[in-house]
Amino acid sequence: MLSTTLADLRAHLPRLVAATLAVVIAVAFVVATLVLNETSRATLLRAAGAEYVGTDVVVTTTDGSSLAGAADAVAAVPGVRAVDPTASADVQARFPGRSEAYLRVQSVAADPELRWQTVTAGALPDRPGEIAVATTTEAAVGDVVAVTVHDPATGEVTSTTDATVTGLVDLGGDPSAGLFARGFAVPDQVTSWGASEPTELRVAGWPRTEPELLAAAVAPALGFAAVEVRTGEQAAEDAVAGVTGNRLALAAVLLVFATVAVLVAGLVIANTLAVLVAQRTRDLALLRCVGATSRQVRRSVLVEAAATGLAASALGVGAGVGLAALVSALVGTDSPLPLEGVSVPLYAVGAGLAVGTLTTLLAALGPARAATRVAPLAALRPVDAAPLRSRSGLLRFAAGLLLVLGGAALMALGVLTADVHPSLAGGAASFLGVVLLAQRAVPPVVAAAGRALGRVGGVPGRMAAGNASRNPRRTAATATALLIGVTLTTAMVVGAASTRATAQAGLDAAYPADVEIGAYGELPASLLPRLEDVDGVAGGTALLGVDVTGPDGQPLWVQGVDAAAATPVLRSTADLPLPAFGEALLPQWAADGYGLRTGDTLDLRMGERSRALTVVVEDTDFGTPLLSAADLRSLAPDATPATLWLRLDDGTGQRDAIDEVTELTGAAAPDAYVTGLAGERAAIDSVLDALLLVVTGLLGVAVLIALIGVGNTLALSVVERRQENGLLRAMGLTRGQLRGLLAWEAVLVAGVAAVLGVLLGGAYGLIGTASVLGGQDAVLLDVPWLQVGGIVVVATVAGLLASVLPARRAARTAPVAAIAAG
Amino acid sequence: MSVPVMTVPGEPPASVSSAAVRATGLTKVYGSGETAVHALAGVDVAFARGEFTAIMGPSGSGKSTLMHCLAGLDTATSGQVFLGDTELTRLRDDELTRLRRDRIGFVFQAFNLLPVLDARENVVLPMQLAGRRPDPAWFDAVIARLGLRERLRHRPSELSGGQQQRVAIARALLPRPDVVFADEPTGNLDSRSGAEVLDLLRSSVRETGQTVVMVTHDPTAASYADRVVLLADGRPAGEVDRPTAASVLEALRGLGD
Repeated sequence: MLSTTLADLRAHLPRLVAATLAVVIAVAFVVATLVLNETSRATLLRAAGAEYVGTDVVVTTTDGSSLAGAADAVAAVPGVRAVDPTASADVQARFPGRSEAYLRVQSVAADPELRWQTVTAGALPDRPGEIAVATTTEAAVGDVVAVTVHDPATGEVTSTTDATVTGLVDLGGDPSAGLFARGFAVPDQVTSWGASEPTELRVAGWPRTEPELLAAAVAPALGFAAVEVRTGEQAAEDAVAGVTGNRLALAAVLLVFATVAVLVAGLVIANTLAVLVAQRTRDLALLRCVGATSRQVRRSVLVEAAATGLAASALGVGAGVGLAALVSALVGTDSPLPLEGVSVPLYAVGAGLAVGTLTTLLAALGPARAATRVAPLAALRPVDAAPLRSRSGLLRFAAGLLLVLGGAALMALGVLTADVHPSLAGGAASFLGVVLLAQRAVPPVVAAAGRALGRVGGVPGRMAAGNASRNPRRTAATATALLIGVTLTTAMVVGAASTRATAQAGLDAAYPADVEIGAYGELPASLLPRLEDVDGVAGGTALLGVDVTGPDGQPLWVQGVDAAAATPVLRSTADLPLPAFGEALLPQWAADGYGLRTGDTLDLRMGERSRALTVVVEDTDFGTPLLSAADLRSLAPDATPATLWLRLDDGTGQRDAIDEVTELTGAAAPDAYVTGLAGERAAIDSVLDALLLVVTGLLGVAVLIALIGVGNTLALSVVERRQENGLLRAMGLTRGQLRGLLAWEAVLVAGVAAVLGVLLGGAYGLIGTASVLGGQDAVLLDVPWLQVGGIVVVATVAGLLASVLPARRAARTAPVAAIAAG
Repeated sequence: MSVPVMTVPGEPPASVSSAAVRATGLTKVYGSGETAVHALAGVDVAFARGEFTAIMGPSGSGKSTLMHCLAGLDTATSGQVFLGDTELTRLRDDELTRLRRDRIGFVFQAFNLLPVLDARENVVLPMQLAGRRPDPAWFDAVIARLGLRERLRHRPSELSGGQQQRVAIARALLPRPDVVFADEPTGNLDSRSGAEVLDLLRSSVRETGQTVVMVTHDPTAASYADRVVLLADGRPAGEVDRPTAASVLEALRGLGD
């Protein structure tokens, strides 16, 4: 039986290769994620933990006290060969032709075993007056570095020495590289540069010493308690852990997407295998005719799936490692997430192979069961695809309904309590439910869409609609695979848009003016018109400022705003209501100071003039009491501008506009300051955009896999309907019309999946945003119609593209060959 | 017994003017070199308008291949096929497709109907593919003659084998094609349904002058035809005019010699 299976495999190889593409991509994704994670860990281990990796034992004080006196005691422990008290000094260094920079100098161990530095040129220093520096300093061997030492307490220069560069040290993806340069000198030199007392001892044992045993032996030799004894390995791991909190979170997020990819791949491969089994119904039946038991047939299908899964997984592992290497090479060590080379851990290879093979095997269970139901007689008659209605289908329906309802309830709870946790659980549960229900829900939708299509698509359209609803189970599985990717993508897009809108609205309310110009003195009245002429400035308004006498007889700095002129300039007046004539807007501190509340009367005087204003207490970020400009002028007719508010045009030129405004302001009023949130707005935008791009890219993998599924399903249809298509061709369906028929079918399935996915994803995105940001004052739900429409179009067009190859295959079949097959 | 076929190769068939379909020097070779199989080894044949002709021969005689080439379903290796004045062997695929749609009707042995379409949709399919509307009176006449009025809304899976073949015949007759090709139309039917189908084919020839060419291996089916063309080893091997089951059987036995 095995030889038959293998012969089958060989015969169907080209088809299998296309079919297992989904597994290859999903496994590649998983493996690339794991490999990149491991690479990042290894890179950091080499960099942040480099000094510990080759060390047997590391002794560290936990209270910062000196370990200088403990070195001898540790050296006396049996099994210890050498001890290096690591000292470091912080100095200012001037490299030839460069400005002075901060340099951290560490002592070089006397024992060669404890020298961990990777020297790429020259050698480590042997005597005082020499220094080795990190390659990132871009110094050359032989350069003379001027080292200045400052007293840490007073900041006075205590010494200046020259040191010759003897070697360059490669620190790999050193996480401190962006902060300061690093150098290495002999202990005496480091001491003379003002090294702190050593707080760490690195210990080397004799060859073949177990680090754990040595650590256990070293610990009792140290008299005082505030010390930690770790093996070098532990110390390195700890050092890495200190800088990698975010890295782990990133790996977790990536694995979530990898899981989605695997899930989609599972659906696609299940469908594809069902297709392969259906194609081979006759072969299988013939096997049964010549005496194969149904168990042998099932085993043959499963063995084939296992072999295919394993082969595809192996390909996927290779592709994943290649992808990781490519990413690593592109990212390099000079980035927030340094990557150097690729580290391929065994577990990544194992996980890739296991995930791919198991997914394929699991996906093969259904088709294998179908294969056992092939009756021997099927070899002798044409195949009818009969829709299945099984008990497991009913069970699935009930489970799906339960999950959707329960999940919806949890999400409602999450939205109401503005807590993201129930929403997350509810979202996951309901989505699982949706996937289970899709088998029931998708076919009727496809049928309904097909009826509409039948009206516009003519005969090919009507036939495509009929064909698409002919095998509901397969159509549902195909559509579900695409639905998952589309739903998640849409949820991300809508969520990001709503987050952006909410964040922007919050910013608008908190900082209503794009640019605010204030002065400690006065601003020339001519400044505003000049600023309004700047390219990119949409408009502006001036606030008058004057010192008046408050109710307590003390001077009070107030400003006046012309509400009519200011309203179009401000982005929002939600948190900063502008005072009407006769009103005074008091910040909380002023209201508290005078003991006034909203509705009370505030008496302000200015020499002979006085005004009685109605108090409005408002807790704003605008720190001074605010009057209407008219009220202010009636107190101080010659008040001058104290604050300018500018509104910038939306778009990309805001940075330039701010630069020019700053320049003009600086020239006109040297002590004025320019602040504004325009920059922050742009920053939030670019962060959200980048995030969205990455997430969409990752989900794109799932969509790609799903589209392979659409192509495979159509390829199956083409094979199954060989006779039918041949008949149609004989009846006068042209090749173009036949291609159109399949294209319509693809568009129908992909379009329904895309529309359903967009509806679902939009709901998830809005619910998610409402749950996450519900604690804020106002959540703005924003649906980016253009992008959502784009998703539908892209998914549908991609489905259309997926039909091209199967359609070509179908069109190539001569009509007579198709009939003869009957 | 071997009656000479109408013509010597190279000369036009006797009944050129009245021929609905004719072939000259038709060959069809599968494979090449030593493994080449000559399914048709030079066939000259003509089918008169308004005539019901059966093509007969033992398995492997090339009768189905001949029909496929005559109907523009398959391309010949050499030789010419004419439908009326149109040379099929010169047409490109799309032209051939349109010609089949507009001028040729088909009835196959099995798998004649598209399962997703109901009987009515199946009948009008070729005309719809061509973007033409069937003449309502003619449609009614065909449906009435074939007794399908009550079955128009049924899917093929809801019809018996004989009913399915009647739908197929209706579909073939509706566009009033130059010729209807039937490939073993009774092969899958019981004898009563088979007789019904053959009666329908014959009456369409008698009553409306439809040209019908039928491939069959059943002498009883062949006896419904006006004339039987015999084929053996890819070559014409005689004819029987006004055949009866017995005379056809005798002619076939003669081929064995």
